[in-house]
Amino acid sequence: MAAEPATMVEVHEITRKFGDFVAVDHVSFDVKAGEIFGFLGPNGAGKTTLIRMLTTLLTPTSGGAMVAGVELTEKPAAVRRAIGVVPQALTSDLDLTGRENMDIYGRFYGIPAEQLKERVKALLELVNLTNRADELVAAYSGGMRRRLEIARGLVHRPRLLFLDEPTIGLDPQSRRLVWQFIDAMRQSERMTIFLTTHYMEEAEALCDRIAIIDAGRIIAMGTPAELKTSVAGSDVVTLRLAPPLEPALARLTGLPFVHSVTVEDGEARVALDHGAEHLPRLIEEVAAAGGKVLAATIHELSLEDVFIHYTGKSIRQEETKKVSFLVGAGIPQKWGR
Amino acid sequence: MRMLAVIDRDLKKFRRNPLVVGMSIIMPLLYLVILGNSFQGKLHHLPLVVVDLDPGPSSRRLVENLHALEHGALELLTITHLVDDRQAIAGVASGEFKAALVIPPDFSRRQTIAARPEVALFLDNSDIISADTLRAAIQGAVNAIPEEHVAIRESNVMVHLRDINLYPKVDYFQSLVPGVVIMAIFLGALTTGAFNLVMDRFLGVDESYLMTPLTKADIVGGLIVSGLCITTIMAFVIFVASMLITGIPFSHWLGRTPMVLVIVVLTTLGLQSLMFLILGQFHHPRIVGILSGFLNVILFFPSGAVYPIASFPGWLRGFARFNPEAYAVHALKAVLFKDSGFATILGDLTFLLCFTAIMLVLAVVTFRRAE
Repeated sequence: MAAEPATMVEVHEITRKFGDFVAVDHVSFDVKAGEIFGFLGPNGAGKTTLIRMLTTLLTPTSGGAMVAGVELTEKPAAVRRAIGVVPQALTSDLDLTGRENMDIYGRFYGIPAEQLKERVKALLELVNLTNRADELVAAYSGGMRRRLEIARGLVHRPRLLFLDEPTIGLDPQSRRLVWQFIDAMRQSERMTIFLTTHYMEEAEALCDRIAIIDAGRIIAMGTPAELKTSVAGSDVVTLRLAPPLEPALARLTGLPFVHSVTVEDGEARVALDHGAEHLPRLIEEVAAAGGKVLAATIHELSLEDVFIHYTGKSIRQEETKKVSFLVGAGIPQKWGR
Repeated sequence: MRMLAVIDRDLKKFRRNPLVVGMSIIMPLLYLVILGNSFQGKLHHLPLVVVDLDPGPSSRRLVENLHALEHGALELLTITHLVDDRQAIAGVASGEFKAALVIPPDFSRRQTIAARPEVALFLDNSDIISADTLRAAIQGAVNAIPEEHVAIRESNVMVHLRDINLYPKVDYFQSLVPGVVIMAIFLGALTTGAFNLVMDRFLGVDESYLMTPLTKADIVGGLIVSGLCITTIMAFVIFVASMLITGIPFSHWLGRTPMVLVIVVLTTLGLQSLMFLILGQFHHPRIVGILSGFLNVILFFPSGAVYPIASFPGWLRGFARFNPEAYAVHALKAVLFKDSGFATILGDLTFLLCFTAIMLVLAVVTFRRAE
């Protein structure tokens, strides 16, 4: 077996266009061996297009990448042998049992029968599906299918695992279970994991490093802590204001301890240090400007705030806009994923 | 063998859809029963209304001849008698009768004095097949009016045609069996193999194997081989059922079974590869529905299964030369009805083999795993 490269993914200026629509726009980044690297962005940002290129399903329009030490477009078969993929859509066969899905997938990789049997057994145990392994997948819940597909992606012990929105559509309990599996896998299998998500808490809980992607471009990259420190202010005070907002916003922006003020859905988000200490002053300033604070909350700066800082909008807002745009334009949803 | 995993997956999925299995077998048999009983090669019970305004010895003789056709072995006619010629013609117009035969009042007299006797036949010529048959049959009945007796000896001056059947008698119903087997293969090729790829694409399941080390040949070959297994079994079940339904004796076809199997396997491979080449380009099962009717028309009807290729116009005969189903039908007919040996169908098998090889290579080359 070839020695594992220090950098498992090296992407250089990769671009993918669909007609005039640029889904991924000159994106470059590296993923080090053994790290969990996350791509964070709203639906339609280009995350799935990028992952489909890196897993050989889409050909880049320009640029290139080395995946698991192999040139992507020159040796796609070698790339496929080295990687494991858990796609965003559920792709297990409904007409097969969980065990059959695992077994057949393992045979696609040419794993000897005895070895495969043992691995399937161990992985089904890992994802708590041993008791349901011989039932048709059609009878599984969404969470069970997702767990099965994560286990299936590991059956050939890949050095690099791609997880595309691994917890999308799952309830909070199933989501936490999947997080635990991902963390356990990383500990036990020492693999490199590349995941995409549009859940801030998921990126923060799992990833060593995160790239924030929006409209096909990387707009910020670093560890969760680095991303947060890149934005001034340790706290965010959210003020719900009675209209008119403008005089109050002007007053708040001028305060010396306020780093920035953004407005979203009629709420002012004030970035500052020591939020609890400054909250009474903020309320006073709004009143002095002739406004009124209807409600106020304080929270520590999160990745959501980082995203808003860099893009000027929240992920939630962006999702709604992107989906309606794609549907209206008749562009297949997977293009924009 | 990675390809074996593709085959195993496909066969397991097919086995768990008994409705598809059942429909794939029932459809060609329904075709056999409905087509066999609706066409039957010859027409029966054509409704004819007779208005005898004469009624003299010649008209009675003509009506007797017509009744002979009504009650003969073929039961060609169903005769109704009316006295009003206008009512009879109105009956033809309304579709109640296919024709109205009006015998005028002076028919027998004119017949006797040889003064150009005439009868009138009002035909519903919008149904050309029935009209032609009725015209010929009634002309025969009219011609036979002067014959006063049945000859007991053959005339020495007449030329007699002696027809000698080289092979056991095959009725129209039985003659449909090769076509039904080929149709079963067509339906099998349409609903297995490449169709499963289209369904996988439609459901987004194909990604699960496109991102594995499976080669294009593994995927295409695996799906074709699984389709071959399913279709061969289906076609063989239909072959046996058709033989039983059409009353072809067990002893007649048992010895021919291995050769039938060779033809079925080669035809299935050819059609599976052709379907992969065509359907392998699409992502939505709706296209299969649209294409199935079109492909069935262009492959099945010019195959010689229901109508002889020699009677086609030149351009259609030219097309039939490249139609794999034409070679399959020819080979099956030769084996089943003529008791031909391997040498007779060698040309058919060679064509099917070459066709399969070309289609298979094209299917693998044109199959795209990355967009």
